[in-house]
Order: sequence, then structure tokens, then C-alpha cells
Amino acid sequence: MSLDDSRVDRRDLLKYAGAASAAVLAGCTGDGGDGGSGGDDGSGSDGDSGDGGDGGSGGDEEGEQLSDVNVGVTMGQMDSGLDPHDHAETNTDIIVSQAYEGLMGREPDGTIVAALATEWERVEAGTARFTLRDGVTFHNGDELTAEDARYSIRRIELEEVGGALPQAGDLVGAGSLDGVEAGDGEVTVGFAGLNPIVFQLFATNGQVMQQSWVEENDTDFINRNVNGTGPFQLAEYDSGNEVVVERYRDYWDGPAEVASVTLNASSESSTRVNRLLAEESDVVTNVPPQEVSRVEESEVASINPVPSTRVIFLQMRYDVEPFTSQEFRQALNYAVDNAGIVESVLNGFGASSGQPTLEQFTGYSPDVEPYPHDPERAEELVEQSGFAGAEIELQTPIGRYLKDVEIAQAAASQIDSLSNVSCELNQREFSALVQDITTGEIEDKPAFNLLGWGNGEFDATQTIIPLMTSDGALTILKNDEVDAMVAEAQNEADPQAREQLLQDLNAFLHDLAPWVFMHQQFSVYGVSGEIEWEPRADEIIDPYRARPQ
Amino acid sequence: MVSPRVVRNLKKEFRRSALAKVGLVLVVGVLLVAVFAPFVAPHNPTEQDLDGKQLPPIGFSKTVEETSSELVDGEVRTVTETTRIEADPQHPLGTDPLGRDMLSRIVYGARTSLLVGVLGTVLAAAVGVPVGLIAGYKSGRVDDALMRFADVSLAFPSLVLAVALIGLWGRAAVELPDPFVSAGLAPGMPATFTLPGTVIVVVGIVNWVWFARVARGEALSIRTEEYVKAARALGGSDRGILLSHVLPNAITPIIVLGTVQIAAIILLESALSFLGFSGTTLSWGFDIAQGRDYISSGQWWIAGIPGFAIMLSVIGVNLLGDWLRDALDPDIEGEGGG
Amino acid sequence: MSVARFVTKRVVQGVGVVWGVVTVVFALRFVTPGSPVNAVAPLDASQETRRAIAVELGLDQPLYVQYLQYVGDLLRGDMGFSYVRGQDVARLVFLKLPATVELAVAATVLAIAISIPLGVLSATRRNQPADYLATLFSLGGISTPNFWLGIMMILVLAVQLGLFQTSGRGVGFPGVLAAVVGPEPFLDTLLSWLSYITLPAIALGTYFTALITRLTRSGMLDELGEAYVQATRAKGLPETLVRYKHALRNTLIPVITVLGLQLGTLIGGAVITEAVFSWPGLGTLVIQSINLRDWPVLQGCLVIIGTSFVVVNIVVDTLYAHLDPGVVYD
Repeated sequence: MSLDDSRVDRRDLLKYAGAASAAVLAGCTGDGGDGGSGGDDGSGSDGDSGDGGDGGSGGDEEGEQLSDVNVGVTMGQMDSGLDPHDHAETNTDIIVSQAYEGLMGREPDGTIVAALATEWERVEAGTARFTLRDGVTFHNGDELTAEDARYSIRRIELEEVGGALPQAGDLVGAGSLDGVEAGDGEVTVGFAGLNPIVFQLFATNGQVMQQSWVEENDTDFINRNVNGTGPFQLAEYDSGNEVVVERYRDYWDGPAEVASVTLNASSESSTRVNRLLAEESDVVTNVPPQEVSRVEESEVASINPVPSTRVIFLQMRYDVEPFTSQEFRQALNYAVDNAGIVESVLNGFGASSGQPTLEQFTGYSPDVEPYPHDPERAEELVEQSGFAGAEIELQTPIGRYLKDVEIAQAAASQIDSLSNVSCELNQREFSALVQDITTGEIEDKPAFNLLGWGNGEFDATQTIIPLMTSDGALTILKNDEVDAMVAEAQNEADPQAREQLLQDLNAFLHDLAPWVFMHQQFSVYGVSGEIEWEPRADEIIDPYRARPQ
Repeated sequence: MVSPRVVRNLKKEFRRSALAKVGLVLVVGVLLVAVFAPFVAPHNPTEQDLDGKQLPPIGFSKTVEETSSELVDGEVRTVTETTRIEADPQHPLGTDPLGRDMLSRIVYGARTSLLVGVLGTVLAAAVGVPVGLIAGYKSGRVDDALMRFADVSLAFPSLVLAVALIGLWGRAAVELPDPFVSAGLAPGMPATFTLPGTVIVVVGIVNWVWFARVARGEALSIRTEEYVKAARALGGSDRGILLSHVLPNAITPIIVLGTVQIAAIILLESALSFLGFSGTTLSWGFDIAQGRDYISSGQWWIAGIPGFAIMLSVIGVNLLGDWLRDALDPDIEGEGGG
Repeated sequence: MSVARFVTKRVVQGVGVVWGVVTVVFALRFVTPGSPVNAVAPLDASQETRRAIAVELGLDQPLYVQYLQYVGDLLRGDMGFSYVRGQDVARLVFLKLPATVELAVAATVLAIAISIPLGVLSATRRNQPADYLATLFSLGGISTPNFWLGIMMILVLAVQLGLFQTSGRGVGFPGVLAAVVGPEPFLDTLLSWLSYITLPAIALGTYFTALITRLTRSGMLDELGEAYVQATRAKGLPETLVRYKHALRNTLIPVITVLGLQLGTLIGGAVITEAVFSWPGLGTLVIQSINLRDWPVLQGCLVIIGTSFVVVNIVVDTLYAHLDPGVVYD
């Protein structure tokens, strides 16, 4: 999944956990309308999704019942080539996931479902076994084999097979792969450590390619062509401009209801909305708040928002004064009115938060409330911290997250309005800021900055490990207690006990306050009245589940 | 150089042409606004006020539909409300998405446009004129080499080359202290002014060749004049002859070209800012880019007004250029645009 | 010197300029801070990829070998490899060229079709309302940022009135050509093409329309005052014929010269027009490449743009020679 177009080397980021994170620093990029992933809590969409396949299987034979509807999708940015393993961006993932699938998949709400594997089990601590689905074919007609699955896992994880690919570590953790065996319709994966979330990782990552197809073709070809097992096969590829995929009739779950999908992109939110309203597109991403009513008032389309898997926060380096003080950090949390910012800047398209983990994730602590807005308490805490009169600077990227500058501006001015702290805002190009943030040395990172983080695995650790543990590549915190609590959770085999450990960790982090907790971003899609489609929790767009109206 | 005859011609043409008067008024107006920006601007152009964002200009108060949302049981519900947005006399041209005063931003944007336009032109002339003069005067190999290099230079469109160079170099900006603010005359205004250094250097680099061509042409024609031949026969140094005889004769077309170049560079700067390649956020092109996503939702002024500001200043400079050209009547090839 | 020899000479010169263009683009890789590898490798490239790139660029070789290798590759049509997109540069760049040519040609045709009649009208109705309007139009035209004009036209003509498409290229001109022979209904295809290309062509063409109007007007005014035109008129030819046949022909010469000189502005304008209209051409590719730090593609674009400029200029010069029998082929 995705870090974003800044393309930070993700392997570094994950070495501690030995587990991948589908962390999304900034998914779609482009202008202000950068979206999170959908995090639909799921009530409601399950019924639809099952039906998609059923409807198809009825008209399997000649396809006379199949529609000839084309669905247009306009995103923020196009792909960086069609190799499903050689990218780390949401946009590329949206495109390649039309044609490639993993062993496991997710429902729109994030629930894990079977995909190319029908069964999976943990054979022992460091071994997982997947049973492959029968009768699955690649778009070139060849049957999927266990060897293909084995090859794909090795291609992602092992430098000697796939070269250094940016998804290395996404399945079992960097350098943790301990042999993959294939045979008898089964793939057995060995890895170091317990890795309690190995199936969450496989459900989000690890698209399967055909071994012979990859080996027989060169990089250029693989990046311009597609040979997957997914519901759509490639019809047209115009790099940087447009990708057209068409229904793959022999798809194992029945042919798609829509005949083809045209995917294009515009970084300007107004262009995306214009395309939607001119009926040139059926699904557009990241409709900004000011455009919402224009879409709602139109007769051709409507707004379809979902809570995303992205959390927005202001991170404070633990080793820089005045942020060394827990009182001071808490003071900033009381000073910033995050609920008010969601209300006034985002028109309510967000949910204020008080812990690093989002509500629909494993490890979310229901007992932790966001910090209330209490400037007096904040001033008291600043006094107690001994840093009264502190002058600080908040750095923010320009236009990477929904309304990032406005949010940072509001937060900075609320902090600045405390009688005993002054706060300035420094607006920076995202690419420059992210280079500072992803530098290996904590000393080179900004002391105080706004950031957004997406987490496609729905597990608390995939945010906390990279951002808050001593060895996390993006960390701004070195705290022995946090490290110990994470390690304990990652070695706990019992899911319920682990969940409790993570909830305790989140409550602890709320008090420790390494961030000024801001909010969970919503993804706001514009959807044409011509189709029925529910947005997903993980930023992927799945026209396979769309139905013509 | 500026002989009494030239002044006479300028005056005569100025009296004759209404457009020249308009041009002068526009240019002097923009110049004054740019220089005295801290006094003209009613607010600090970077001061943000989220409670007063996207206010319309005076006379454009309006009723809008506003949609907000809330989370109910994990699902997002949207509510649409009708609200009336009144213009605020404090902000005659309205405010932008961050609640910054548009009028003040236009005023400060004039500084960026003019500074880049003038400094970029001066830089281009400072490189192009000497090279062109020497090439034309020396003629022969030097001239050939220059002209071939100029051909290569021309093969890269200014905007493309500028974008490529800025992309490779990154965008550096210089913070200049504002003299009025440091003297304490304009409290509350930005203490420094951001000069987009890379942009100036780049527009200089991509536009010098126009000056070189004109200077060369003039030098070529002048070098065969009797008085230049005489000066040379009398043992004058090349440098002396270039400075005292060739340059003064070439100055008129160079000035006219300079005017045209300022207009072209203002447009180029706005394009670069629009694409996000300038180093400052106080620029008309930057505001157009910011406001672009708000036009279709009805907030036309955020991108609309800076566009008019660019148009008026460039019209002013172009009219001034027409006046100079008609009065001085140099024979300039083409318009020498960027 | 005959026209044929003149053209041959210009082609030889043109090859020299293209060689210069290639050399400048080669030198650009040393402009970027740090190793030239940084200009080619994506930010997240591994050490292994970086080493591979260094070898491919021949950085272990002496400079002249690197240079010869680069030129040699270009001559074979190999523009290098985009590590960001995982694709060959040459195909990417060449596939985008037609869209940009289409836009530039449409803008030029539009500009010439409007400006020359307008300039003539303006000159022959000097100091009448028509002249003032034309003068105001041309003044506004050379002073309006084309990207802003494009945005405003999208708002009014495409979004509010729904007359045109807001962005994109549709089937493009090749699609129209295909409809002539193919099964697609020709008229519908043509209208669809127009709905896409009209606004970008106007946005890009306005500056040139204005510029040529000004030139035609002042050129015609000069020519109409010339003695020989008066002489021709005395012979009793109808006035219109006088205007067009003699005056216009001579007026067109400086117009063509300026068009050649301003070709760079046209291509530069195309870059930003494409950005505004999401037109899938070289300009969009240039901007995407910079944002993705995809320097090999950017360099490929620069080579193609520089070369196209040279080619078109040779065509313009030839046209010039054809129009002006008195031209000295120096």
C-alpha cells in the first residue's frame, strides 16, 4: 500500500516490528483534497457486496445479461507504472487492484475475506499456510498455481528475486521471510517471530502475479501491461493520463456487472468535481467541503463520505525543549480545540480524536476521550512545566491533507492565544517536510509538525510502531514503557489479551501525549446517480461492486 | 542617448496618444502601490482569520448552501443549511480561504510581480547586452558562436526551461527586510518581504538571448559607421568604442525591448507561481492557483481578482512599451516575448 | 542560391542546433545538487538501484565517454529508462507528442484565421470603432495570462453553460480521422472533438491572435501607404484586391518571422494550457515528471521540444523564402 509519491524507503520504517505497515503518509497527493481511506464502519454495506458476485454468475455463459456500462473514476493522481509490487502509492494501488488480487482480501468495511486462498491457518508460531482456490485463471488464460503465489511472495520480500521493491516487508516484515513452500494447492510461509497480525498483512498486501509472465517479460513491459486474476483486464494504458480496464469474463467470482472502467486523474479538486457534474466521471475522490453542496444540489450526483483510516496529528519531538515536558505536551492538547476545528474548518468532515488509534481499529480504547478545549487548564500546565514564555514553531505541509494549512493555522493561533506560549506557523512544501521527517536520525526531524498517517491494516501497532517506538523510522518518541508494551502485544498470541494490551497502550499514550491529537479524516467521494456504489474503508475503489442503476 | 530630440518625440507621442496616458497611469499606479505596499494594504496580507474566510467583495453578499456532516453510529450524515454571507467593509475585495484580506494580497502581489519583472529584465539585459555588443562588434567567429548558442537557447521555451531549472535546483527565496516596517512606520505589516530568487535568476537566464540579439544587430550596423571607423583609426580601444559609441546608439531599442520583456516576465512569473514553482506565497499567480478550487463553488474573487491585477499591470507596461516604440521608432524585430 | 540549397543549408544548421540542444540537456544532469544519479533515481531507490543507474549512466567512465554514450543512445532512439514509472522514456514521450502538436496546430490555425482578417479590417478602418475594438482586443490578448483565461472559460463556458467539456482530450484528432473511414458517425465524432479542443485552443491561441492582429494592422498600415500600392490602385484594380494581393503578402513576411520566433512561447504556453485542461500531452508530462522527480522523462521531453522547435523553424524559414522572392538566402 502506500506511503505516497514521496516514496520513502519503507523497509527502514518497519525493521523494528518485523511487520509491515500500510502506512499512508499522504495518499493521493495533489491539492488540498487529499483523502484518507474509507473506514466505513460497515453497517450497511455488507449486503450489497455479496450480491455483486451473485448477479454476475447468473449470466456467466454468454454474458447476454451483462451491462455495457462504463464507469469513470477520477482520482488525484495517476499510477507510477502497472507493476503491482513496485510502488508505494495509493493511486497506483487503486489502478492495479482492478486486475490483481492477493491471497486474502477485505470487504469495504475492512473485514477480512477469502480471495485467491480459500483457507488460511497458523500452523505454528512462525508458519502460516494458505489453501489456494481452484479454477482461478490469469487474464492470459493460464491457471493460477501455488508456485505463482510462492513466487509473488518471494518477489515482494526478497531482494534476490524481485530486486529491491518498495513493498518489501509488507507481508511478513523486512528480512523476516523464512522460506516459502508450494505444493498441492497450498502455500506455506515461514517467518521469524510470532507476527500476530500476519493475516491482516496478507489481507491488505501481496498481490499475486504469474511467475512465467514476470520472468519472460522486461520491466518496461510489466509496467505497461497487466496479467492478473482480478475482475478486470487491461484494455488501454496511456501512461500518466488514462487507464481503461474491461470485464474479465472468466473471473472466479463471476464477471463484473460493469463492462469497463476508465480511470483518470486530476490533482485539482474543482476539475474532479466538474468532471463528475458534467457526467464525464462516475466516482471522484476527495471532494473538498466547499464543493460538497454543489454536488449535493446537482441532479446527477451525490456525496458519499466515509471515515477514513487516516489520522491527523501534530507530533512533538520528545527530546526538544519545551516538548520534553509531559505537562507542556498535555497543555497543547488542552489548548487546541480539535472538535471546533473539525466543525469550522472541515465542515464536520472529520472526527476529533484523543489517541493514535482510530475507532474501527484493533486496540482502540473506548474509554479514552479527546482532550477537552480548556485554555485555562492549558496555561496552568504550561506554568507547571516550567516552560512559561516558550516560543515554538509549528511546521505544516501545504495541500497534502484535506485543509492542512487551515487546520495548522487554527491550531497554531489557538496555542498562540495562550498567555504564556507563542506559536508561529511555518508552511512547507510536503516533499521537503517529508524528507526531514523520514530522515533516519531523530535529531534532524522537525520539533513540531502536522502530519497525517493512514493505516490499512486496521491494527493499532501499524501506527504506533513506525511513529512512536524507539526504532520506528518516523519516530519522534523514545520511551521504554511504550517499547515494552508494544513488544508484549506483538508477542501475545491470544487476540483478546493482545487487544487489551493495545487498549492499555493507547490510554497510556493519551496521557503521555507525544502528539497533539487532532482528528480522523473523512474521505468524501462524489458518486454519480448512474451507479450504486459504496466507498471502501481502505482507499481502494472497487467498481466490481458497483451496479448500474 | 536621451537627446532633446528624443524627449521631444516622447512628449509629442504622449500628447497624441490616449493609450500612452492610460499606460503611464497604470504603470505609475502599480509602481506606487508596490513600493508603498505597507501603507496601501489595509491588513497584513498573511494574517489569517478562519472565522472570516471566503468573504465576498463589497457588493457581492450572497446566500449559500453549506453542507456539514457528523458521525452517527459510524456513518457519516450530511446536513445542508442555507446561510447568508455578508461582505465586510473591512475587506473591500473579500477574503481568501484562510480569511486573508484579498486587497492586501493584491497590493503585495504587485511587489512580487514588479520586482521579478524588473530584476529579471535587468539581469537578462546585463548578460545579454554586453555579449550581443561584443559579438556584433567583433563579428566573425565570436559572432557565429554566439548566434549558434542563441539558436540553441531559443530552442527551449522559456517556461519549459524555467520549470525544468527550478525543478532541478529547487526554489530558493531571499527574505528582504521591509524598510518601512523596520523603520517602525507600518506596524503590523510583514517585517520581511520574500524575493523569489531562483525565479529571478531563471527568468534572467532564459531571456538574455533576446537582448543579445538586439544588441548584436545594433552593433553590427553601427560598426561600419564612419565615426566608429574613425574612432578606431584614431587608436581608440575596443572597450572605449563600445562604451562611448556603440552602446549609446543601441540603447533605444534595448529600452523598448526591456519594456516588452518586463511584460513578458510578469506573465512568466505568474505562470511559474501558478504551477507552484515560485518561492513566495505572495504572488498573483499563486493566488490564482489557490483560488482555482473555489471558483466553481462560487468564490470567484479569490482567483478572479489576481487575474485582473495581472492583466491591468501587463496592459500598462505594454502601453508604455508601445508609446516608447512609437516615439523612438527603433526597428525591432518581432516582439521579443518570453 | 536556389531554394533547394537554402533548405539544405538550413537543415544542416538545424542539425547543429539539435546537437546543441542534446548537449545542453546532457549538461543539465550535472545541474542537480549532488551526484547525477540523484537526477535519475527515484527518492526511495535502493543502493543497488543507484549503483545500477551509475553504471548505466557510465559515471565510472570519463566524461567524454558518458557524453558519447548519451548521444549514441539518442541516435538509436533510446532516451533512457524512467525508474519512477518503470518504463522506457522514448515511448512515453513520443506517445504524448501528437496531443501537443494537435493543440498547438489548432491554436495556430485559430489565431491566423481570426487575426489576419481582424488586422486587415482594423487597418482599413483606421480610427473607426472597429479599429478601436480590435486594438482593445489585441491589447487585452497579449496581456492576459493564458492559464487564467483558461480557468475562467472553464467556469463560464463549460461548467455554467455546459457548452464544452471541462478537461481532457476525448478521441483526439486521430479519432476524427478514423471516423472518416470507420464505422463511427463522423459528425458526432467531429462535434465531440470540437467540444474538447475549442477551449484549450482559444486559451493557447489568444496571445498569438492578439500579437498577429497587431502586426498585421501595423504592417498593413505601412504597406497601404507605400507608393507601389498607390500605383497599382491607379491602374484601376478593385481596392480589395489591392489590399490583399500586395499589401497582405508583404505584411505576412514579418508576421511569419515573428511566428517562428514566438514558437517557443507557443510551446511554453502549451505546457501551462495542458496543465489547466488536463490535456494529455508533453506539457502535462513535463509537469508530472517534475512533481515525480522523473528526470529521465523530463530530459526526453526537453530533447523532443527543442528538436520540434528546430524542425518547425526550418519549415517557417522555407515558407518565408517561398513568400518573399526577394529574400537573400544567406
